[in-house]
Amino acid sequence: MALAGLLATAIVAFIVVVLFMSWFSNPPFGWGNAPAQPIPFPHTVHAGPVEEGGHAIQCEFCHRNVTTGAAATVPAVEVCVICHKQVNGANAKADVAEPETLINIQRVLDKHADGRPIDWERVHRMPDHVRFVHEAHLRFLTQGEERTVTLPIGDEEPMQLPVPVQEACSVCHGDVASMTEVQPQDGQSLKMGTCLDCHRENDVSTDCTVCHK
Amino acid sequence: MPNASYEHKWGMVVDLDKCTGCQGCVIACQAENNIPINTKDYFLQRRAYEWIRIERYWEGEYPNVKARFMPVLCQHCENAPCEPVCPVYATYHNEEGLNVQVYNRCVGTRYCINNCPYQVRMFNYWHPNWPARLENQLNPDVTVRSRGITEKCTFCVQRIRRGELKVESQGGQRLNDDTIAAGNYDPACVQACPTNALMFGDLSEDRQPSPSAIKPYFDDVNAHPGHGEHDRETRGYRLLEEMNTRPSVIYLKKVDPYPLKGGH
Repeated sequence: MALAGLLATAIVAFIVVVLFMSWFSNPPFGWGNAPAQPIPFPHTVHAGPVEEGGHAIQCEFCHRNVTTGAAATVPAVEVCVICHKQVNGANAKADVAEPETLINIQRVLDKHADGRPIDWERVHRMPDHVRFVHEAHLRFLTQGEERTVTLPIGDEEPMQLPVPVQEACSVCHGDVASMTEVQPQDGQSLKMGTCLDCHRENDVSTDCTVCHK
Repeated sequence: MPNASYEHKWGMVVDLDKCTGCQGCVIACQAENNIPINTKDYFLQRRAYEWIRIERYWEGEYPNVKARFMPVLCQHCENAPCEPVCPVYATYHNEEGLNVQVYNRCVGTRYCINNCPYQVRMFNYWHPNWPARLENQLNPDVTVRSRGITEKCTFCVQRIRRGELKVESQGGQRLNDDTIAAGNYDPACVQACPTNALMFGDLSEDRQPSPSAIKPYFDDVNAHPGHGEHDRETRGYRLLEEMNTRPSVIYLKKVDPYPLKGGH
């Protein structure tokens, strides 16, 4: 009898823990864990500011579809090779020093030589029944008249619009340029409540069919 | 009338004189909306489903017989009987005159299915599955519905949304007949119909630059309310008009130059 009670307690506790975790964690992984990528990709080096050793590549240079379509898209290996056919250690002008970095760059070049894609792990995953169009949201943030808005996401400071694309991305994704591993940040859980708060605040339709498909 | 306040008011005209019963719309709908493949088993259990179906009626006695076809899809009624019976508000009328089904709210009570006089709401009895090769052709703009929920025709709302975004991003005005035709934002059934028996358009009052091509059909039917299909001078009528559901789909009856002798 005591054993049955113990078992029941354990099962209930397990369910409570699972519910607790799934509610409070960020949708894809939770607890701030970024997924392991097949090849380490430090956004700090690629998109970070030049003063801090980055190369300040614009977001939309690699995530090419972000200003024209629904998905931002992860670049094809060819886009990596635009730079990395020069930046591969063999070129004296390109200062890649660490042997580990060189190995990783070589792996990218090998993939390109084989004509195979890199199997990046997805970081921000929307549920299947949600439609999110990057193009429309970037249009709101980067175009139109000058105006001040308070977006209920991130630090919730009043914001002057329009902003450059780079800043627009960081409203929801955080300062990706400072992340070695990309992951959703605190206050940027991308839950439905965040979407609705922002849509209400800015007088955008909250009809179900706008987002749900 | 509620449609005066709508930003859009989507509607459809089905011309039965042009319909050949080819089932093109049924297949187009299945491909567009990720509808599982109906197998023999499903039919035998009477649980096969299609969002648009071709109803077939035989007229006359063999050998003097004629087949009549009628495509039936969700009528997007203004007085929809399915809406007030949903206990979780999963089906509602939106500002564009669409009868919307929110899949992730639906709990599968099936009240709406039983209250729909047109029998166009379908219940998902199984986990949807496709042969492995076909999974790559699923439409990413439409969710794959899970087991245990109700689903139905949406007037391909994903295409309407795509069209609206396209028009907005080009700095244009609202979606209208021309932009719909130019971008193929018609519902899949309309796009696929080889005889143009199905027509889709925006019926809202202040539609720019000019009224939709299908508006006159609706004006005619609205001008003679409640008289049924036999009293109007033109061919338009609504299905089960006497129930006052006020569908957004109207039918144009078939005019047969060679009626059967002795008729029906």
